[in-house]
Amino acid sequence: MMLRAAGKRLLGAAAGRQASPAGAARRGYHERVVDHYNNPRNVGAFDKDDPDVGTGLVGAPACGDVMKLQIRVDEGSGRIVDARFKTFGCGSAIASSSVATEWVKGKQMEEVVAIKNTEIAKHLSLPPVKLHCSMLAEDAIKAAVEDYEAKKAKLEKADEDGTPAGAIRTT
Amino acid sequence: MASRKLLLGLTAGRRLRSRTRQLFSAANLLEATTSPSLPAAAATAQPSGGSPAALLFSPRTISSTRQAAQSAGDAPGPSTVDHKLIMPEDEFHKLADEIIHDLLGKLEEYGDSIQMDGFDIDYGNQVLTLRLGDLGTYVLNKQTPNRQIWLSSPVSGPSRFDWDAATNVWIYRRTGANLVQLLEKEIGELCGTPVELS
Repeated sequence: MMLRAAGKRLLGAAAGRQASPAGAARRGYHERVVDHYNNPRNVGAFDKDDPDVGTGLVGAPACGDVMKLQIRVDEGSGRIVDARFKTFGCGSAIASSSVATEWVKGKQMEEVVAIKNTEIAKHLSLPPVKLHCSMLAEDAIKAAVEDYEAKKAKLEKADEDGTPAGAIRTT
Repeated sequence: MASRKLLLGLTAGRRLRSRTRQLFSAANLLEATTSPSLPAAAATAQPSGGSPAALLFSPRTISSTRQAAQSAGDAPGPSTVDHKLIMPEDEFHKLADEIIHDLLGKLEEYGDSIQMDGFDIDYGNQVLTLRLGDLGTYVLNKQTPNRQIWLSSPVSGPSRFDWDAATNVWIYRRTGANLVQLLEKEIGELCGTPVELS
């Protein structure tokens, strides 16, 4: 119920907001942003220690924006099979990261690092002051991919170096 | 839906704030949460209805990736750099206000001189908004916690400028762009008349 009230307040605030001093058109959240706010996709988390998971954590609480975006990658194909996000921030930030999780699913990692903040901003019709949210979402995607690759490299190196000292080799 | 209500609802705000205080440095959080207008919309779901007002991020995840290489909050990753050590707040305000007011004055003059349709410049709540009719809108504001000036441009999108003490200018670290030069170039091209902002 509180969610509905908050949602209504959001819409209400948007609808009731008066024109800016310069007399420009009425501002409000685009319906896609409201949709993602009310029905966020892929909310949640994976186990960050899972070798198939890449975690991107961007932003700063002091700025009022933190996004955590996680991807699950199929090792064989390099395809992102699933994604989750958790975001602390404004409606536009939540919507941007929600869209990001939708767009990375089913894609190759090389493809998703090409996702630009401008595409996210256009999809959500973000106003100028909220373009920064879409940039953060782009950063989150890149950070998740980087994390996965770094983890993978580390694991591969550990394999090459052999089993740790003290462990018993059975083969 | 009860769990969602707890987490997204504003009544949970208080509990969320006290929880997040444990996760983040108190000083940073104070800046973020004492503002009543901060919409602490934490999108998360707890199907099992576990601990109420669940932590956004367990301490484990918050301490993970991206701890290293913080360039004043511009690089991805939660900001672990204490910007108060980089530049005192009053100095930041002085430098940032100076450049913003300077730009405001020069852009107003420019607007008067070019007589462009839909040209409007507005400065309110320390946010500078420059409307160029159908060509788009620029927004320039201070981002005090990061000691940055944030710009939203219809041409180049969002960018964040840090003060470079060596050269006394505001620079976007990712591209090396200089704030004043970027605005001169873009606005000059958009409006068709060169503008002098330095």
